Amino acid sequence: MSTLTTIYVDNVVGHLPEDSRGDIAAEIKATIDDMIEDRLGGLDHPADEQTAAAEREVLEELGDPAQLSREYTNSPQHLIGPKSYPVFIWAIRWVLPLVAVAAAVTNSIAFIATNDEVQIGALIGQLVGNTVIALLTAFATITILFALGDRDMSAGAADKIAGAKKGWSVDQLRATDAKAKQIRAESVLNLVFIVLLALLPLVPTSLFYVGHLNNDEPFINPELGFGWFLGYWGFLALMAIVEVVKLVRSSAKTAVVLTGAILDVAMAVFLTIALLTQQVLHPDLTSPSGAEVQQIITVIAIWAIVIWDQISTWRAHRANR
Amino acid sequence: MNEDEEQALATHGQELRRGTVVFASLVACRQPQYGYSLLTTLTEAGIATEANTLYPLLRRLEKQGLLSAEWNTEQARPRKYYSVTTSGAEVAAALHSQWLELNTSITKLWKEGTP
Repeated sequence: MSTLTTIYVDNVVGHLPEDSRGDIAAEIKATIDDMIEDRLGGLDHPADEQTAAAEREVLEELGDPAQLSREYTNSPQHLIGPKSYPVFIWAIRWVLPLVAVAAAVTNSIAFIATNDEVQIGALIGQLVGNTVIALLTAFATITILFALGDRDMSAGAADKIAGAKKGWSVDQLRATDAKAKQIRAESVLNLVFIVLLALLPLVPTSLFYVGHLNNDEPFINPELGFGWFLGYWGFLALMAIVEVVKLVRSSAKTAVVLTGAILDVAMAVFLTIALLTQQVLHPDLTSPSGAEVQQIITVIAIWAIVIWDQISTWRAHRANR
Repeated sequence: MNEDEEQALATHGQELRRGTVVFASLVACRQPQYGYSLLTTLTEAGIATEANTLYPLLRRLEKQGLLSAEWNTEQARPRKYYSVTTSGAEVAAALHSQWLELNTSITKLWKEGTP
């Protein structure tokens, strides 16, 4: 076997499972020899140059050894397959904005709580840097999980996700209506967020490992008037009703979407007034000089969420019509 | 035929042939064949196949139990011979029936569509 053929065969079998390498290598080698012999046309004593030229031709005909190796492994040559891709995109669209906002808010709170003198440049630098890292980490984690799931997924599981079931009937149309499914999934997710937001004024800081900053009290200023809490929970209750209507009806008519959008904006205005007129966050979680900056950052974060929510809600509504 | 049509023809032609290589290999392996002899047999029968596609395919058919493989070391050059199994023969027969049905259907469609 010439050096070229040896290198070629090594390149093909190098990435194959060890137990199959010997067998495949022997078969490829025998094939190359057969093809060279065929090209030499039964010459009894071909010159070395003729053999070398025939060998080159044969190897070029067999093509890139990496490609041949991939044909043998028959493994998927993609990270996220077409069956998982829609769910992957859906997860990215939901998780990344939430991670961005959560990272921005928690980093600003942590920065202001741990620095006596708040420099706006340093704050923005830390905020942007840590948010980008959080986004990249979230993206990488989701992608890796989906890629692993894609490879582990049996054909049956893949078909189930794609909705390809045997014995399908027209009666299942309502249950498998993709738009209705999406609306229900979004409503459930929104209800979970609403419950989490409702619990926010009651959650002690110790749950987030920063209890030492304010003796395990909540994130919200306990001196805040009870009326503000009532208003906050009232808005959340109305928002929850809208989501329940969408969930029960499995549809989002324009009137319901519009009501939800108005409630979101009204809630943002309510929170903005609350944040700009008094100390909403717990005083121990902020330094006197940084309190104002912290409140403004929270207001900006709230409006960023509201604007993103409005755009995505109306785009989804237009697409579902 | 313009360039776009030629490109489309090449793509669709390749897809059409890809499905036939499995069937043709099972049919040809009713007589034991080693890789290169099968490649030559298929090419001479007018079913152009590339070596880098055929060999991995033979291995997959072997794993599926449609072909059995055995090394013959009695000749000057050791060669791996593939033969169709009982299960492979049944699949080949079923594919042959489908092939004939498709041929009939396409011929009928072609005649009906011809002005």
